[in-house]
Amino acid sequence: MNGREKKIGCNAFEENLTDYLDRALDGESQRAMASHSLECPLCHSLLNDVKDTLAACKEIASPENHLTGLEAKILERTIPESAMRCEEFEDSLTDYLDGFLPATLFHRWERHAVLCESCTDLPGEVVRSIAACYTYKLDELPLPEGLNERILEITIGTTVASELKPSAISRLKEWIWEIKVPIAVPQLAPVAMMLLFAALFFGQTGGGSIGGMYQKSVELAGQTYQQGAEMVLGKDN
Amino acid sequence: MEAVKADTNNNGAELVRRCRAGDGAAWEEIVQSYSRRIFNLAYRFTSSVEAAEDLTQEVFVRIHKTLDQYDPKQGNLSNWLMRLARNLIIDDYRHRQRNPQNSMADTVDKHSFHLRAVGTSAQKQVERRELCNQVQQGIDKLPPDLRTCVILRDIEELTYREIVDLLAIPEGTVKSRINRGRIELAKILRRMRVVEI
Repeated sequence: MNGREKKIGCNAFEENLTDYLDRALDGESQRAMASHSLECPLCHSLLNDVKDTLAACKEIASPENHLTGLEAKILERTIPESAMRCEEFEDSLTDYLDGFLPATLFHRWERHAVLCESCTDLPGEVVRSIAACYTYKLDELPLPEGLNERILEITIGTTVASELKPSAISRLKEWIWEIKVPIAVPQLAPVAMMLLFAALFFGQTGGGSIGGMYQKSVELAGQTYQQGAEMVLGKDN
Repeated sequence: MEAVKADTNNNGAELVRRCRAGDGAAWEEIVQSYSRRIFNLAYRFTSSVEAAEDLTQEVFVRIHKTLDQYDPKQGNLSNWLMRLARNLIIDDYRHRQRNPQNSMADTVDKHSFHLRAVGTSAQKQVERRELCNQVQQGIDKLPPDLRTCVILRDIEELTYREIVDLLAIPEGTVKSRINRGRIELAKILRRMRVVEI
């Protein structure tokens, strides 16, 4: 101490406050500011207010979680019934990551993530684990030597597959399979039914001629009439 | 990528038609297009190269026998083949879980990965190889039900609906198994120091 300590007033204190907090003043001015804040209750209070405000601003500027630790603690103390258990937290983890968690559950989930020390790292670990699975998927194993040849050997009996050509019969079969495809179209089903019916009908007629077909139809009509009449009259055969 | 290429221009149906007619080259094209993908799927469930090889051969024998059942109207060839392959591989996995003495894959073999070298340094290659080995070891430690769901969702990237159809279990069960499987895998990988915050 040199016995001539620098003294400042309240106006100078206010004017230099920011520089004082940033430690940007020279040593003598810095000491004078500290001394004044201890002597003057109003400036002391002002100093504390500014410090608190700056701390609050820092918290807002770096939101590591949506829910700050302080807020989570307040909610835990004031509405403890809304706290989430670890099992419940884990059960909802995938829904949280997928963004399907309802709003009410979402806030309880985040609060648990902030407060529970054993759960707080879990979401990050799960995300890294999924990423590791994805890396694993991308790095496929190479095919073992000769596996394709062994597959060809046990399925078609040769490793030189190009030598195996389709036979004429199988080609014909595939050709027929291809041309039958249009018949499967639903709109043509009635036509196919009529053709089938005609074929069956012609098959029962004598020789398949138009005359024979007419003769047969007259006979069938006569038989049908006879059977109907017998049923109406209650006559037993 | 090979599998995707094989299905472009809707040539899957044509390939199958040629196979049915006895065209060896067409069958060879199918084998070459899908064998690696099916082999890798089998490896994820068996953790053994030898077991995966055997299983891949069995899958192709079955595919060859059932080619007649392929109907292009019900989806492209790739989907049909992979659905069939998944069914068979999962059936085999379930069977081995019920009969552990028949399991060929209870011990994780020391197969080393041969990763693509394009654009990566040697150090990165080693790290990726190590990571893949550890992920497979982690998956092996999961209970069978969880393991199946994690592989299908996070490696095969099937939708919930596709997994429901494949495993024939309710959607709620599928979701819960995927969630539980992911958490368990993350905890295993944390113990193995693979994922750390």
